[in-house]
Amino acid sequence: MNGLKTSALALGLAAGFASLGTDAAAQDCTTKIGAVLPTSVDWGKPIAATAQYAVDIANETGGVAGCQIEMVLRDTQVDPKVGVDAAKALVDLDGVQLLLGAVSSGVSMPILTSVTVPAGVMQMSCCSSSTAFTRLAEEGKTNGLFYRTFATSGVQAAVGAMVARDAGYKSVAVFYKNDDWGQDIGGLVADDLKALGIDVTASIAINDGQASFRAEVTEALKGNPEAIYMALYPKEGTQVVREWISLGGTQNMIAANALKSDEFRDNVGMQFLGNFTGTDTASPRTESADAFVAAYTAKFDGPPNGPGLANSYDATMIALMAMHAAGKDAKGADIAAKISSITDPNGTPVTADAAGFTLAKEVLDGGGTVSYQGATGNVQFDKNGDVSAPAVTWTFSEGGIEEQKYISLTEVNDFMTSLN
Amino acid sequence: MIGVISYLVFFATVASILSIAVMGLNLQWGNTGLFNGGVVAFFGAGAYGTLILGGTPQAGQLGGFGLPYLLALLGGMVCAGLVAWIVGLLTIRLRHDYLAIATFGVAVAFETVMRNTDALGGAQGIRGFERPLRETLGNGFTYNLAFFAFVLILLIATYLFLERLIQSPFGRLLRAIREDETAAQSLGKSPSLVRLTSFVAGSVIMGLAGGLYATFYAFISPQDVLPILTFQIWAMLIVGGAGNNKGAVMGTFLIWAAWTASGWALSRFAPLEVQLYTGSIQFVLIGFVIVGMLLWRPQGLFPENLVVSQSARPNK
Repeated sequence: MNGLKTSALALGLAAGFASLGTDAAAQDCTTKIGAVLPTSVDWGKPIAATAQYAVDIANETGGVAGCQIEMVLRDTQVDPKVGVDAAKALVDLDGVQLLLGAVSSGVSMPILTSVTVPAGVMQMSCCSSSTAFTRLAEEGKTNGLFYRTFATSGVQAAVGAMVARDAGYKSVAVFYKNDDWGQDIGGLVADDLKALGIDVTASIAINDGQASFRAEVTEALKGNPEAIYMALYPKEGTQVVREWISLGGTQNMIAANALKSDEFRDNVGMQFLGNFTGTDTASPRTESADAFVAAYTAKFDGPPNGPGLANSYDATMIALMAMHAAGKDAKGADIAAKISSITDPNGTPVTADAAGFTLAKEVLDGGGTVSYQGATGNVQFDKNGDVSAPAVTWTFSEGGIEEQKYISLTEVNDFMTSLN
Repeated sequence: MIGVISYLVFFATVASILSIAVMGLNLQWGNTGLFNGGVVAFFGAGAYGTLILGGTPQAGQLGGFGLPYLLALLGGMVCAGLVAWIVGLLTIRLRHDYLAIATFGVAVAFETVMRNTDALGGAQGIRGFERPLRETLGNGFTYNLAFFAFVLILLIATYLFLERLIQSPFGRLLRAIREDETAAQSLGKSPSLVRLTSFVAGSVIMGLAGGLYATFYAFISPQDVLPILTFQIWAMLIVGGAGNNKGAVMGTFLIWAAWTASGWALSRFAPLEVQLYTGSIQFVLIGFVIVGMLLWRPQGLFPENLVVSQSARPNK
């Protein structure tokens, strides 16, 4: 279905260019960018499709620095060896100066240390959340070539603790997925809760692919917590919550954004989710975020509800705008250096669609800077290439997912400072 | 052009590292008939050992001893050998599929321990390793070329060592035990001791491969030691030909080339609509190669050279 639409779009574009003879002549060159994403995994495909969608939008406006963009997509199979090899092939054989990916931190990290940094290629990850990247950047070993649009787990952990405090919970048990993301956020939220004087009765690792989590759930029940915090994905999250409630656990639940899925709500049942509060990094209060949701819904026959989609879109858009600012045949370091011109809070605000991309190109051509209003918010990178972001809390309702409270970037930053 | 050469050097480095591991498995399976289903545990022990001994200190983690590189690599091999020795003592009386299941369990346990022990990197893995001679050789093509040469020397050394070993009386003993353990025992040999020796020696070679792998990426995480790697290494040995070291090396280069080239070719030539499914198509293609190989040439590309005892051979 998507494929059909892409072809239709391509045909439409071709027809458009054919009718504008002069424009078509200016589009002779093609610049390649690389993408290494886990397309053989179910949730990886939409992330790649969203990146391609952003590339299509850029091409629709006439490309980047006068050239059409061709995104060469390679699968990582979530295997570090395969991902690193794919990245190396893209850099050496296709000569890309911009690499999008990967998703797992365990794949992004060896790509960064053994491919992109040695070759001076810019790497932009949509979804790697490990704090190890921050530490690597602090040691000066990323050469400023690494950026990511996935807010570090710190923001969500802090907001999760804030929710617990505001609800007046005195004790909380933490469940976290036993991978780099889960261990990171599980550890951070436990520290934040303790800093607020809330008792953490247990921190329990959940390994996916188990038939039952009864042992883990029983362990958490022993501490008799007033609420639970979950950094889990829908599959194991559903199982944990079912067993938790069936064994008489509290329905006071706080969760990170990975559970923001209709699948989770339907499989658990709305009657058990009355006291459920989720956290997420927020879309800004601008039209551009709504525009992204609307455009995405129209293109993919459904809202962008999977993990990492908005992040993938923003990663691609920001990188392409920076590529335009750096000019034709720019090297990775030149592109990376232009990122600050795209996310300048004092720049001209541009939206995350074709019109915004065209406006951004005009402003950048005139030597100005822009403030990209993206699908994940008014994105701003710190010196380590990390993003901070405003946050929201959300709940499930009969109709879907509803936002509860918006926490601005300043509030998030102030709260996080107060915790340290 | 330089890009192509640079990529080929990179490819050959990874393939050479994997060939060393495949030759280690060949000693165990091809020559001794030990079904090791937990290759990643020994590969991983070598990798973690090397990075822990040779890395820079990281907060809250064991290691960062900053040993000279060759010493760290040797230490990694010792780690793999130690793990193999303990596992071997416990399981060496098991035969065939029982040994396979037990060693597979060991490999899964190894990954789980690494994932859950913060002091050993946890799920985030171990970083902060400085590749040896990086200051002198820079970070780019020259470095990769030099490292490839280093790996190649070790590959040739391992190959020559194993070839000598299997032609020696000890090699004949290995084959005798593989073919008929009772017969070997009746001649006064101790099968369990010989099996243990072969198991540990093969695992030390896998540990060497793991150490080189971790050095090359300057990073190791539990994601590198998933069971898929055991499967890949087995596929390489089966395609190349169990019992033949040349076959082990060729099989590795072929399978790894098929693995990477299919991804590259699909990304280049597949139509846009198919692009998102290339990952799944790639798995199907690789499966075809292995199944086809098993149907068409189950002994592998280079079958074992069955030699009559040297003393029985007519003098040349």
